[in-house]
Amino acid sequence: MPAAEGDEALAAAFAEHEGWAFGEAYRRYAALLYSAAYNVLRNADDAQDCIADAVARLWRSRGAYSASRGNLRSFLVVCVRNEAISRRRSQARTIRLEERLAAMPVEHEQLPVSDPIERDRVRSALLALPREQRTALELAYYEGKTHSEIAAELQEPLGTIKSRIKHGLRKLGSALESTAGIERDRS
Amino acid sequence: MYEHVEDRAALYALGALADDERAAIDAHLRDCSACTEAVGAAEDDVALIVSSEPQRLAPPALDARIGRLLQPRSLETMRRSRRPAWPSATAIAAALLLGLLPSAYFWSENRMLHGAMLAQSNAIGRLASAPHRTAHFRLAKSSPPAEVMYALDGSWYVVVVRDASKSFSVAWMHDGVQTMLGETVPNGGVAMLYLPKSHRMDRLALMDGDRVVAEATLSWQSTVPNRRSARSG
Repeated sequence: MPAAEGDEALAAAFAEHEGWAFGEAYRRYAALLYSAAYNVLRNADDAQDCIADAVARLWRSRGAYSASRGNLRSFLVVCVRNEAISRRRSQARTIRLEERLAAMPVEHEQLPVSDPIERDRVRSALLALPREQRTALELAYYEGKTHSEIAAELQEPLGTIKSRIKHGLRKLGSALESTAGIERDRS
Repeated sequence: MYEHVEDRAALYALGALADDERAAIDAHLRDCSACTEAVGAAEDDVALIVSSEPQRLAPPALDARIGRLLQPRSLETMRRSRRPAWPSATAIAAALLLGLLPSAYFWSENRMLHGAMLAQSNAIGRLASAPHRTAHFRLAKSSPPAEVMYALDGSWYVVVVRDASKSFSVAWMHDGVQTMLGETVPNGGVAMLYLPKSHRMDRLALMDGDRVVAEATLSWQSTVPNRRSARSG
């Protein structure tokens, strides 16, 4: 994706673990990071805790990001989303262990309406994938399952699932790039 | 050293690995630039999907929380927690406190200044090189003069509040809802908020706490922008 002005300087400072770069990166991508967490956790408090923990974790681990990683925005999105998925799995485990307790109430907060063009782009791109790749990708992305769980559910070897997810994700990314008219910046 | 990432780059980026597998890859990435690039490419793909999902603005409370987290004192606390216990901690802490206070103050100021400068340089770059329009905030009695300059396609906005020594919040007013966009950063009597990536918004509000102090109506008619505002890059 194209780098906006200042993105490279920010990424370089972030890689050097400069404090101001962490603050500026959060300010710049706050909505995207919050949305990434919220769309996994569906709870505002959990999403905020998740982002705070992800930022704190990055602070403690100097060297987590380097220039060869590429886009800082993508790196942060994945950090936050992985943190959110871990929390969701942990919550699910807690629910399983506490069978006698009522399940957590489902939050019915109305999501803001997303751009229908964006929604259609993802849907179309997903539908264009071979069915096996689409199924594996949907189980990983939308249901937050691990590759082991997906392999067990689909009764396929782990290697097959890894390969389907890898190729499916790459095709989906390329389709979204091309429909958005952007070019990958991997320099 | 952990084995190369290979097919697991996509799994990592999608969050489809168990926590211990992910931690092992994190450790490996610190020493392997080839795998780091592969993971970075997969992260770009996932970020594209995430960007296509419904977006929410981060609550102001989270902004404040992250701000506190990144304060020098918080950082010092985090680093201390990883160090072995220090002898004569009380006396040395007192001495350190006296010695570090000025440094912490200047560090904090410097950090804020860097952030403000970066945002301002981006904003000024946009204003100097790209056609844009200007809308003035309709002022309440006690509010400072303010305006918003914005790209013709709504892809970026710069809100400038003059004679401002404090921050104001900027909100998008739509469908009877206030969506917080961020806070202006005061610097040298001018407070500024640069929104680099956005979409078309018709009405913005300047807020002092929960109170709306001024509103601006933005025009999206496809007329030629005024000569003063429109400069070709």
